[in-house]
Amino acid sequence: MYSMVEILVGIIQGLVIILLSPLITGIMRKTKARTQKRMGASVLQPYYDILKLIKKDEVISDQSSWIFRICPWVNFVALATAAFFIPLFLMYSPFGLAGDLLLVIGLFALARFFTMLASLDVASSFGGLGSSREMMYSALLEPALFLTIFIVALTYGGTNLSTLVTAVSGATLLPHPQLIFAAIAMFVLVLGETGRLPFDNPSTHLELTMVHEAMILEYSGKSLALIEWSQAIKLLILLVLVVNIFVPWGISSSITIPALGIGFVSLFAKISILAIFIAYFESSIAKWRLFRIPDLVAVAIASSMIGIILYYIK
Amino acid sequence: MVSTQLSILTISGSILIIATFSVVARRGFIDWLNAYRHQSIVLAGVTAIIGYITGIWEIYIAAALTLIVKSIIIPKVLTYVTRRLEIEFKIETNPYVSLRTSVIISALLVGLSYFLTQQIPFKSDPVVNVLLPVSMAQFFIGLFVLVNRRTVLSQVVGLLIIENGLFLFTMVLTHGVSLIIEVGIFVDILIGIVISSILLFRMGRTFDSLDVTNIENLRDD
Repeated sequence: MYSMVEILVGIIQGLVIILLSPLITGIMRKTKARTQKRMGASVLQPYYDILKLIKKDEVISDQSSWIFRICPWVNFVALATAAFFIPLFLMYSPFGLAGDLLLVIGLFALARFFTMLASLDVASSFGGLGSSREMMYSALLEPALFLTIFIVALTYGGTNLSTLVTAVSGATLLPHPQLIFAAIAMFVLVLGETGRLPFDNPSTHLELTMVHEAMILEYSGKSLALIEWSQAIKLLILLVLVVNIFVPWGISSSITIPALGIGFVSLFAKISILAIFIAYFESSIAKWRLFRIPDLVAVAIASSMIGIILYYIK
Repeated sequence: MVSTQLSILTISGSILIIATFSVVARRGFIDWLNAYRHQSIVLAGVTAIIGYITGIWEIYIAAALTLIVKSIIIPKVLTYVTRRLEIEFKIETNPYVSLRTSVIISALLVGLSYFLTQQIPFKSDPVVNVLLPVSMAQFFIGLFVLVNRRTVLSQVVGLLIIENGLFLFTMVLTHGVSLIIEVGIFVDILIGIVISSILLFRMGRTFDSLDVTNIENLRDD
């Protein structure tokens, strides 16, 4: 069993993910603006947006049903629950016994499913368009995601995130070449899951390019704030997973204040570097045509297939 | 043998496979050349490590030649020859098998080469165990690129990848043939590239395209 202190640290980890996530989104927006030679809004802008949206009134179509109204809450609750299973700056999460990596993916899928339902619920043409595209993406990304998870789980023995991260931080990356391929696939998957650039442009409202934006077009006020926030949480969770599974060095193994401090600082630095890299990557490419996206997903699938081959044959 | 060396060899093998894949997964000639250049640099590194492990000094010369000829001269020659070509000649728009299918097929080919090398009993030498499947994968994927694509430029790149695979194959299995043959092979590749570039230049002039199906017709009608 875990002691009270450990449970307290676990709760703090989950809360840090939830509270820190708009900042990471802000850092990515700022980086993108600077690469386009704009000043860009402050990195705290997503917090201001959320605070402003919470104060505003909400407009709900009288054609919509209860699904439309509960979707933001389902989104937020699912992703906030997922946040508590993630080892952040401590090597394990005390809530890890209740859920593993597969549950986190399942919670993502639940949130995504409700977003798609809600966008169909109001019966606007944009909503249908967005949800059909989103469904295509999720159907394509799922096999690659599971193959990648299998590589990591096979290499380190188990899908429980706490044992996974503990095993990774004890090992060096060198004797496991399959993890390089898993990392390549995972990078593509993070771009796809969070709707970054070659898949979906998060910053436009152009009818040809939007996927996620088309689904949440009808939302306003508090609901929109919740959806934006849960999207930011999802991005941060995926970045934390990438960092803690592939480059976990510096993560704290014991509950002492200096170790936790070092863990937090190194994690924040690694996540910021990854976020800035993704923002640069996004600036250097254009949105791909919808039917070229399977090419990119094929690369992810092929890469994870080679990873599994390497695992079994070596 | 030290395990660090083996780890570095394993990682370089993975990088070689990734570079080979970026030839399969991308459309533009410049991307292929860059992938080939990176692959050759890593190949030179692998060769030098094999030289260090076996202690044969001639392998260092082969590594240096790889670095100079394959990562500098050949890409330079090919860029120089193709600088006047129209951009649509340099892009593979219409391969026989689509891009995403060929990526999956190449992954299966990598699996096949690992499977095949498992059948050959070389358990004693860890270098062979690590790098022989990589060289066979390069060979197979190069062959697949050669068969699958229509334009001459991509076929030249496929040929170069096959050659890289063969070089790695000989280097791993026999620790390098004697130096004079090695130099002969390098001169061969260089001459081959020059001849094929003259050929593709003339072809571009005569047919206004680099599609190989054009030269399958006997009569000009």
